[in-house]
Amino acid sequence: MTCDSVGTLIPLYFYGELNPDEEDQVEQHIHQCAACTREMERQRALSAALDGRTADPPSHLLADCRSDLMAAIQGGAPRLPQVRKGPWTLFLEALGSTLDSVRHVPTPVGALALVALGFFCARFTGAWNQPLNLSTASLNPSDDVFATVRSVRPDQNGVVQIAFDETRRRTVSGRMDDQAIQKLVLAAAHEDNPSVRVESMDLLKSQPQSNEVRDALLNAVLHDPNDGVRLKAVEGLKPLAADPEVRKALSQVLLSDNNPAIRYQVVDLLVAHHDDSVIGVLQGSVQREDNHTVRMKLEKALKDMKASVGTF
Amino acid sequence: MAQDAAGAIGARVTGQVDSLIRAAQGGDQDAFEQLVRMYDQSVLRLAMNLLRSPEDARDVYQEAFLRVYRNLHSFRFDCSFHTWLYRIVTNICLDQLRKRKVRKEEPSVVETSEGPVDRMDSFEEDGPNADPERSMWNRELKQRIEGALQDLTPRERMVFELRHYQGLRLRNIGEMLGTTEEAAKNCLFRATQKMRAVLGDFV
Repeated sequence: MTCDSVGTLIPLYFYGELNPDEEDQVEQHIHQCAACTREMERQRALSAALDGRTADPPSHLLADCRSDLMAAIQGGAPRLPQVRKGPWTLFLEALGSTLDSVRHVPTPVGALALVALGFFCARFTGAWNQPLNLSTASLNPSDDVFATVRSVRPDQNGVVQIAFDETRRRTVSGRMDDQAIQKLVLAAAHEDNPSVRVESMDLLKSQPQSNEVRDALLNAVLHDPNDGVRLKAVEGLKPLAADPEVRKALSQVLLSDNNPAIRYQVVDLLVAHHDDSVIGVLQGSVQREDNHTVRMKLEKALKDMKASVGTF
Repeated sequence: MAQDAAGAIGARVTGQVDSLIRAAQGGDQDAFEQLVRMYDQSVLRLAMNLLRSPEDARDVYQEAFLRVYRNLHSFRFDCSFHTWLYRIVTNICLDQLRKRKVRKEEPSVVETSEGPVDRMDSFEEDGPNADPERSMWNRELKQRIEGALQDLTPRERMVFELRHYQGLRLRNIGEMLGTTEEAAKNCLFRATQKMRAVLGDFV
């Protein structure tokens, strides 16, 4: 073996990654060659110098990570692929919530909205208003169509009349700055499936400037039953931490949320913007906080603000 | 004898991991949690050592185990769970390292809950009576090491990290990174050569 070939094998020899034959050859060469012995010494010195460079995680980090993870999956992100509602369902729900929120507008406007809805539905279902010829209709349900049969009426001539509601799955794509996409994502925040709501919150985070998004995040952080969704909503509210309404909601979350990981994140957001009124909230929380990590966090925050940890 | 015992323990652990995976695939959340706890310390240590930031390490942890949770149903036992998990973790870390390369930045100060800490402080500190010349030499060495590691490509850095600090075999590393053992060997060789070139007289 030449010095050049041994030189390329020295790092692998050092890490025990050579096969036994190669190992023997390297060892034989090193015993007879002062230059390669020095190379081996340099490899050892490099390794020793690098050994000192390790960054152990801070002691609390593992516990925090575990708590975040369990909060995110509590309620069940999909382990098996699940059937998701299509954009049409989302649209109807979005429309439902919109109509809900405009309950106080004059009745004629509501009626007009229903006429528009009727027109819109007719466009979708027009083709099905024709009598259905079963002999030519495909009876294999498509993966993209979900139907609920409402009634089945056979007549004496052997013809069956079936009434069903149909939901058709469509795929739309676009960026979050597209209003139509944003509306669908906002509608997804009300889906039954918590993993859809988590995704929705994650996407809405990028649009904190919109009032509708802010309201959706506030609604989720205060009322969503799923810990993962609330945690995402807290993250989404980070850029809005100076907004008085957001601070009010976060203070409420700090006092009432039963998940310590969420309370921990909320403390960060509240102390990020100095505001004297938050001291009272933190002092109130520290008294009733039963989680050690969160309590330590609250105490540190109060100490940093030069406030006492209790109210007197 | 000892090897037999180690083999038996290994087989028992593998059997235990397999049962936990099957239970988690069936929807048992406790089994999933136990599975996470078997591996999460080493995942966090790897992310922390590579990225030198608790916040980034926390993001890697969260993203990696959420991906595991969402995709566990597709795990078919055709490789070890450790390899499968590390494929996910190394991909996420490589993305982070690549983003940093593009931004040409690497935090020199690590944020911790106790406040900002210089990452160089993770080295053994010199005592109060230390030789000032020696201390200066140590500081210079630390800076050179950081520089040397930054000069590596994300892939070289990853192979070096997994071999030197995590003690994994190059065959496994190749499998995790979707490449051959030979390619992993070349990566390790290039990494050590680059570091020796940068560290020059120090080693």
